[in-house]
Amino acid sequence: MTPYTEDELKKKIRGGYILESPEEMTPGYRRALIVQLTVQADTELMSAPAYWFAARHAPSTNTQVSAHAIIQDELAHANIAYRLLEDLGVSKEQLVYGREPHEFKHPYGFDQPLDNWAELVVANGFFDRAGICLLGDVHRNTSYGPLKRALVKVDMEETFHLRHGEVWMRRLARAGGAATELLQRCVDWMFPMTIEWFGLPDDLKHHSGQLDYKLKGLTNDELRQVWMSSTVPLCESLGLSVPAHYDEDGDEYVLEYPFPCEYDPDAKRWLFEDGEITWQAVFERWKGRGPMNEIYVDSVRRSRGSVTSWLN
Amino acid sequence: MRTGLGEDVYEVFARKNRGEPLRHIGYIDAPGDELARVYAWKTYDEENWFEMCVVPRGAVIPVNRVEGPWAGNVPEGTHGP
Ligand SMILES: [Fe+2]
Ligand SMILES: [Fe+2]
Repeated sequence: MTPYTEDELKKKIRGGYILESPEEMTPGYRRALIVQLTVQADTELMSAPAYWFAARHAPSTNTQVSAHAIIQDELAHANIAYRLLEDLGVSKEQLVYGREPHEFKHPYGFDQPLDNWAELVVANGFFDRAGICLLGDVHRNTSYGPLKRALVKVDMEETFHLRHGEVWMRRLARAGGAATELLQRCVDWMFPMTIEWFGLPDDLKHHSGQLDYKLKGLTNDELRQVWMSSTVPLCESLGLSVPAHYDEDGDEYVLEYPFPCEYDPDAKRWLFEDGEITWQAVFERWKGRGPMNEIYVDSVRRSRGSVTSWLN
Repeated sequence: MRTGLGEDVYEVFARKNRGEPLRHIGYIDAPGDELARVYAWKTYDEENWFEMCVVPRGAVIPVNRVEGPWAGNVPEGTHGP
C-alpha cells in the first residue's frame, strides 16, 4: 500500500516533502506521528481541568473571563489534535473515554494541583511557554501538512496564554510582601517541573525517528535551552530566583541542582538535597502519575456515560 | 464517518476580511448542521472572521486527487478529472 520505503520517505522529507494524507505514510512515520499527536492532545486536554480547578481562585470577574477563555482554548486545541488522530484511523472515543487515567500521555506537571491564583499564572508563564517551545518547533518543521495548518490557531492562542502569565507574574512581583513570596514558592516547584517536562537529555535519548521524519526540528536539550533562554531572564527581571544561570563560556543555560531529582508532590518540593536520581526512577514516578490524575480525568468525562445512554 | 455521540465530521472554512480567499481552517465533529455551526464558531474563535461556513465532510467531492480526507467521496466508476 505504502508508496515508499522508510528510507525513501526520510530522503524525500529531507528534501522538503510535505505529507497530506495517511496513504503516503510508512508504518514508521505513522507510528511516530500518532505518538506525537497523542502526547499533544492529552497535554491540551489535561491542562483544561488543571486550569479549571485553579480558575476558582481568580480574583475578579475580569480574571474569571480570561482564565476561562484560556481553558476554552485548551479544550479546542485538544479537540483539534484528537480529530487529526481520528483521520489517522485512531479512535478519539477510545482515547478520551476508553483509557484508564494513568494511561494518558500528558506531562507529570498536569497531574499536580494548582492551588491559588499565583500558581495558575505561573503555570501560564512556564507550562504554556513550554507548549509554545514544543509546538512552535513542530509548526515550523513538521512534514505533516494538516498538523502544520492546525497549529496556526494553537500558536496564536498559546501566545495569549503566555502573555496572561507574564503580565500577572509582573503584577504579583511588583506588589512585594506576601504576593512575591507566594510567587517565589510557585517558581521553586514549577521551574524544575517544566525542565523535567522536556524529557531525557540528548545523550541518553534513544533514536525515536521524530527528527528523521521531521515531525519536529529541535532535540530535547535544545528545546530546554530555548525555554530557559526566555524564562530565566524573565524571572531575573522580576527579582525571582531560579536554580539556573547563563554560562558565558559554554554559551548555554546551566542548571544549579541535581538533574533529574526526586519530587515530593504533597509538599510541592524538589528534594535537591537527596541528589541526582536515574531517569528510570523519573519514568516510574511519571507512570505512577501525580495526585490529581484521576480527579482531572474524571472531571472531563464524568457525564459521558449517562448522556450517551439517554441519547441511544 | 460517524464518531462518538452520533457526530459527523464537518470541514470549516473562513475568510478573514472582504477580498480575501475562503480558507480551509479546520474541522469539528457535530451531531447535525445546527450544532456544527455553533461548535465551529466557538472552536475557531482566534480571529474576527468576516465569513465562516461549514461543509459536511461527505459533501466534498474530490476532482483530481484520490487520497486524503475526501477520498471516500469519489463517485463510483470515475477516474480523475
Ligand atoms: Fe493549548
Ligand atoms: Fe495554553
